[in-house]
Amino acid sequence: MNEDTSVPFPEFWNWVQALPLSEYIGFTWWFPFLESLHVLGVGVVVGSILMVDLRLLGKTALSVPASRMTREMIRWTWGAFVLAVITGTGLFMTRAAAYIENPAFQIKLVLLLLAGVNMAWFQFRTLRGVEEWDTAPAPPPAARVAGAASLLLWIGVIFAGRWVGHII
Amino acid sequence: MQECVAAWLSGSPAQETAVYLLGNVPGLPPIAQSLHILGIAVVMSSTVMVHLRFLGLAAPSQNISEMIGRLMPWTWWALLTNAITGLLFVVARPNRYFFNPVFGWKFMCLVPAVTIALIIYQMSKREPGYWEQTAARLLSARVMAAVSLVLWVGVVLGGRWIAYTDYLYFLYE
Repeated sequence: MNEDTSVPFPEFWNWVQALPLSEYIGFTWWFPFLESLHVLGVGVVVGSILMVDLRLLGKTALSVPASRMTREMIRWTWGAFVLAVITGTGLFMTRAAAYIENPAFQIKLVLLLLAGVNMAWFQFRTLRGVEEWDTAPAPPPAARVAGAASLLLWIGVIFAGRWVGHII
Repeated sequence: MQECVAAWLSGSPAQETAVYLLGNVPGLPPIAQSLHILGIAVVMSSTVMVHLRFLGLAAPSQNISEMIGRLMPWTWWALLTNAITGLLFVVARPNRYFFNPVFGWKFMCLVPAVTIALIIYQMSKREPGYWEQTAARLLSARVMAAVSLVLWVGVVLGGRWIAYTDYLYFLYE
């Protein structure tokens, strides 16, 4: 239990980690089980995003239209993301008060948020005019910037995520 | 055999170097582990994506042999990255790994998974479109893909469980 904490709602995080479910996960094989599924989910999320990012950067798969690559990968990205969020929440619950004030965890959340904003911007703005560059050998600067930003942010998410366990 | 390897590594200059690096280079353990996870992500988007394509579960519009040629070289680089980052930890604490049954299970999944990947890649490289030419070849590729998917899941889950072997024994008590 963290009595003296700088994060908002300290009582709430203490309440979360005192839940029977949190304690059950934390003290049984459910913790490594969820953690291993989390790594699998992260692998597919970042892997599928990597394919789209490299396509947007004009580095790979130029024979595949950018819009089709995005469409074909997104279902795997979202499916695996749901798996990662569910398993990640299970892990977080076990020591919510400690994770919430863990700098690596905070950085990871910020990077995830930025990756989400970047993805939404790409989806609703940049992808609007995709017909003009769908099969072009060099995607326009806006698409390349989105791809590069996504690539860096997701690599950052992996590093921050792995760092969480070294600080806790 | 693994006992011999563990004994040979224990106290060797290689072990001392790995222990020194992990203990003295700031952030090296999480950096190496993050690169290892990044390598897993690359395997997921190369060989695993090709398997999913064979099974009709991903990238339906993309040509199979073109995908194999485009994606699978990434797997070899990822495996090299993961061999280097993984060896750092194995060499530093050989007893922890070579006497750990989960480490053995991981490699019992990894070796056939890599073998299947090599077979699929080499045949397609020698003869583009090899796997799609006859129904029998396509079926065999699909069977290999399905088996390999299970094996790769085993590799990832096993890899993470190496650090939690105690829980497994706790489970069987």
